Amino acid sequence: MFRHDNAATPGLVLKNLTLAYDNATIVQGLDLSIPQGAFTVLLGRNGSGKSTVLKACVGLLRPKSGTVLLDDRPLSQFGVRERARRIALLPQGPVAPEGLSVLDLIRQGRYPHRPLLARWSPLDDEACDEALELTRMVDLRDRPLENLSGGQRQRAWIAMALAQQTDILLLDEPTTFLDLAHQAEVMDLITTLVDRGKKTVVAVLHDINQAARHANHIVMFKAGKLVSQGAPNDVMKRETIRNVFDIDPEIIHDQKTNAKFILV
Amino acid sequence: MMPRYRAISLAALLVPALLLASLMLGDRHVDLAALIKGEATAEVRTIVMDLRLPRALMALLAGMALGIAGTIAQAVMRNPLAEPGILGINAGAAFAGSIVIVGFTGLSVTVLPWAGFVGATTMAAAVFLLSWRKGTSSARIVLIGIGLGAFASAGTSVMIAFADIADVQRLMIWLAGSIYDANWDKICLLLAWLIVPITLVCLFYRQIDLIRFGDDVAASLGQRVNLVRAGMILLCTAISGATVTVAGLIGFVGLIAPHLARRMVGPGHARLLPASALVGGLLLMAADLVGRTIIAPVQLPAGIVTALIGAPFLAYLLWGRRHVPA
Repeated sequence: MFRHDNAATPGLVLKNLTLAYDNATIVQGLDLSIPQGAFTVLLGRNGSGKSTVLKACVGLLRPKSGTVLLDDRPLSQFGVRERARRIALLPQGPVAPEGLSVLDLIRQGRYPHRPLLARWSPLDDEACDEALELTRMVDLRDRPLENLSGGQRQRAWIAMALAQQTDILLLDEPTTFLDLAHQAEVMDLITTLVDRGKKTVVAVLHDINQAARHANHIVMFKAGKLVSQGAPNDVMKRETIRNVFDIDPEIIHDQKTNAKFILV
Repeated sequence: MMPRYRAISLAALLVPALLLASLMLGDRHVDLAALIKGEATAEVRTIVMDLRLPRALMALLAGMALGIAGTIAQAVMRNPLAEPGILGINAGAAFAGSIVIVGFTGLSVTVLPWAGFVGATTMAAAVFLLSWRKGTSSARIVLIGIGLGAFASAGTSVMIAFADIADVQRLMIWLAGSIYDANWDKICLLLAWLIVPITLVCLFYRQIDLIRFGDDVAASLGQRVNLVRAGMILLCTAISGATVTVAGLIGFVGLIAPHLARRMVGPGHARLLPASALVGGLLLMAADLVGRTIIAPVQLPAGIVTALIGAPFLAYLLWGRRHVPA
């Protein structure tokens, strides 16, 4: 289990990062180390820059200034496929072409591992099978994506990112629009990936209590700036949450899980 | 799964059947058995070998090319209603062709394909450059393609309004899209133009598979999205530009063929590209056969027949998708 005090040398590090779309600055002067082998949750109100940070982490958005470092090497020096073998991103609300099966989708995750004209290899099959098993999608592998429930579909997309076999997995709002049972499914999957798969997972979530319950590390953003970060129980403070979310919550310390929750 | 492959196998069997029908049917019914036995007259042999066979093969080839071009366009634009025409390719080729026919009456007809090709390429390049803003987006390409296409069509209309009546007549026939004057030289020309781009498309089918997922997903998986999109649009232009200039403007085949093929073999491009080619070839061969026999001796250009079938199909497509949010 990940322990907060002995985080190893960080894999993904953001240094004095400023991100902008055209002239609108979204994130300013961000310094952040993503703890390895842990589940990090980015929290903040809409437009606070969380998704933008994820995009910069996979090079979908070039920083206006500052750098993204992966193992102390600037991300811009990585080839696109090399980068995609290290970091996977599942964007918010991805859309698949019509008529695709679960396996068709998952197979796309092998793209960065396959030389341009190479044939499908047994290694590719292995990676897909593993992704199917981890996400418990084996029985659904031939089903068309349209016929799946929201939770199953989200698991299929995560399986695609898993077939990419990266050590770092970024998820942009993986639980939004899912009902509670499906949200719990996705959170359990993430916990499994981190605890057993030794993956580094970073997710943007909207549910503060979900983050408090499952995350190892929480990062709070407000208007493009980092406000607070640390172990859940250290950042779940009334004052911090009031500042970040513009709400005035009660903080409840649950003895059973030793987690702090908010009551709005 | 099985019915899918049954449908495509049936389609494959239809090709030789339709080819034979194209050789036999027409103003003059040809007895193929006699032809094979060598008992046919020289006249019959000319009809079959120099008129009907090249014409049927040209329809097959052009239809295949349009099917492939349409498949690329729909995947790259991520739009089920996309077809090569949406890139302004057809309009560009038509405009360039009309300039040649009307403006330079002295020039030989062999210049026509080249002019059309230049028009198509210029158009696709203009669409691509104008929609570039730190990368391209499918929506911008579609909008600018339609805009520039309308502009080029207007140019062609101006030509038609002011040109000499004989030139206009030649122009109209060419614009309507017909394969009536197919010959072996033209087939070789088209084949030579098509072979490289179609080979490249088939080699890189995986890129088309991935780019359909949207820029963010494709790019995060390590695809150079803008490069792939530019390359695929270029190949699509080369394929449909060459086809338009040799076989004339033939609408709707590029739109319908991929949809029919998708129902037969599913969405993966390893199978979809050849299936679309097959369906496209069949459609155009059938359209040409219908066009020259249904009200014989009057010949309907194949482009008009495809439009007559294609327009209702388009309506059906929209009707079937009316519950899908745009």
